[in-house]
Amino acid sequence: MRIQINARNRGFEFEARSRESVLYAGLRAGVPLPYECATGTCGTCKARLVSGRLRDGWPEAPGRKHLKPEQGEFLMCQCAAESDVTLQVAQLINAADPGGCSPDACPGVLRGARPLAPEVMAFGVELDRPRDFDAGQFMVLAAPGVDGYRAFSMVNFERGARRLDFVAKRKPGGGVSEWLFGARRDGEPLVLFGPLGAATFYPTLGRNLLCIAGGSGIAGMMSILARAAGERYFERYRGWVFFGVRTLRDAFFLDELSSYTPGVSITVALSDEQVPATATQRWPALAFAHGLVHEVAGKAMAGKYENVRAYVAGPPPAVDAALRMLLLEAKLTSDNIRYDKYS
Amino acid sequence: MARRYVCKVADVPANGIREFAVEGGLRLVVANSGNEYFGYQAVCPHQDVPLCEGLYDGSVLTCHMHLWQWDIRSGAPLGIAEAPLERYALAVENGAIYVGAQPSALDVGELFHGLERPILEKLTALARREVHEAGDVLYRPGDPAQDFFVLDSGRVEFIVGRDERTALGGFMLKKGELFGWAALLEGQPQRIASARCLERSELLRINGESALRVLEGEPAAGFAVMRRLAALIARYLASSGAK
Repeated sequence: MRIQINARNRGFEFEARSRESVLYAGLRAGVPLPYECATGTCGTCKARLVSGRLRDGWPEAPGRKHLKPEQGEFLMCQCAAESDVTLQVAQLINAADPGGCSPDACPGVLRGARPLAPEVMAFGVELDRPRDFDAGQFMVLAAPGVDGYRAFSMVNFERGARRLDFVAKRKPGGGVSEWLFGARRDGEPLVLFGPLGAATFYPTLGRNLLCIAGGSGIAGMMSILARAAGERYFERYRGWVFFGVRTLRDAFFLDELSSYTPGVSITVALSDEQVPATATQRWPALAFAHGLVHEVAGKAMAGKYENVRAYVAGPPPAVDAALRMLLLEAKLTSDNIRYDKYS
Repeated sequence: MARRYVCKVADVPANGIREFAVEGGLRLVVANSGNEYFGYQAVCPHQDVPLCEGLYDGSVLTCHMHLWQWDIRSGAPLGIAEAPLERYALAVENGAIYVGAQPSALDVGELFHGLERPILEKLTALARREVHEAGDVLYRPGDPAQDFFVLDSGRVEFIVGRDERTALGGFMLKKGELFGWAALLEGQPQRIASARCLERSELLRINGESALRVLEGEPAAGFAVMRRLAALIARYLASSGAK
């Protein structure tokens, strides 16, 4: 199917495979269409149908709440072309970043699933061939027999990666999540699409790093830390990580995080319990605090925001609270904030 | 248009922001900053998200959806915002806030906003207001490029090339957007695209040479306009870049 897109500043044309979403087809063709979650929740990829027929894979998608369907608006991440189509995207779309990693469909095999904490697991995907991604990016993943894609951030960082590491939090009713937690899945084939996401870190950034993560949102921060440490970034710039979980039992990656100290200052925020005495005995390199992660970060960071780039990831309420703190209290401007919401 | 009542001063929280509907169908947000009140378009120019749901600290307004930001005193874009906010002049009298006439397409336009009043008036005097219906073609490739256009309302689409070999070339939908800018450039005597109205559209048509003469008489303003024109053209060449 031929897809023509007229954006505010120019037009694009590309081919889509059968049942492939307009968004994924465009990104695969090197057209940087606007998106944020790429999985139907945010509404950023809205477009208007001018001619042709579309099939909506998820008419109940939460991201549709801002759309005007009577004007032909739809979500590019959920709709596939059923004929040649012409669309309007009411935004500027510039040429793709020549330094970025181009997304594509990647077949893979699930490997090494293991529990990390209650309702949280780590798993890897062995890829069919080496792939590049940037630190802080995510893939969307489809499981056999499950409708729709779910987004997961890469935990590792390497060029030409043969394996991608992920963290999954159990989400009752979430198709991919229930599939992952439902049975032993090692060796099962998966389809991934990516890499996606603009919450990326490049060592040329030249700013101190502040990472605020809730729960499985720590995944992308691990990738950023791996890349930054690999480039000896923390010999020149400061780094702070605030990792929010309910209780110490819910925390994970604490040994890995300890390995980044003392170059990076790392604090685990426990929202639902006082800090147990055992915490600092077992992880002496880490700091622990009681409170919501954005509050703990706000308190510890006061007066230290000069030349800071902040990365935020986690469940939407935690991300929104952290963004509010960074904008209203820390007075960071939005060009120095990158975030991913896992909704 | 005569000024219209918006709200009572007490309706706007201190250093806060609220949306109001005004007689005649206009919706706007009113923000308080110290003793002052500022009026802006009610929705984000990015994706039409209500700005009253945004984050506001008394000086910077941030849309919560994608964190576009603006200086509340001027509506100028900050952070990652790619467009300014359309501002409405407010008057405060006896505890009530009124909105004056809506700014013209030239006032808010990407090329001419913020120019000194006498220059804007000279340019306004050159502008001819036209209304076109959906399907009307404003120009075709090869037509002489004498005039440029500033969109007031509607939607205009561009198609580059001719006959069977055409490609979509973008579209305009925001008040103040400029097209047909070949009329302001040297050595570009002909249109290279066609411009067609996708819906009923209201435009200001301005002769390029006459506008250039006005700007030649006002070199500082003329320089600012040419810089903006260069930035506008660069927008068609730019890559999205590493964020």
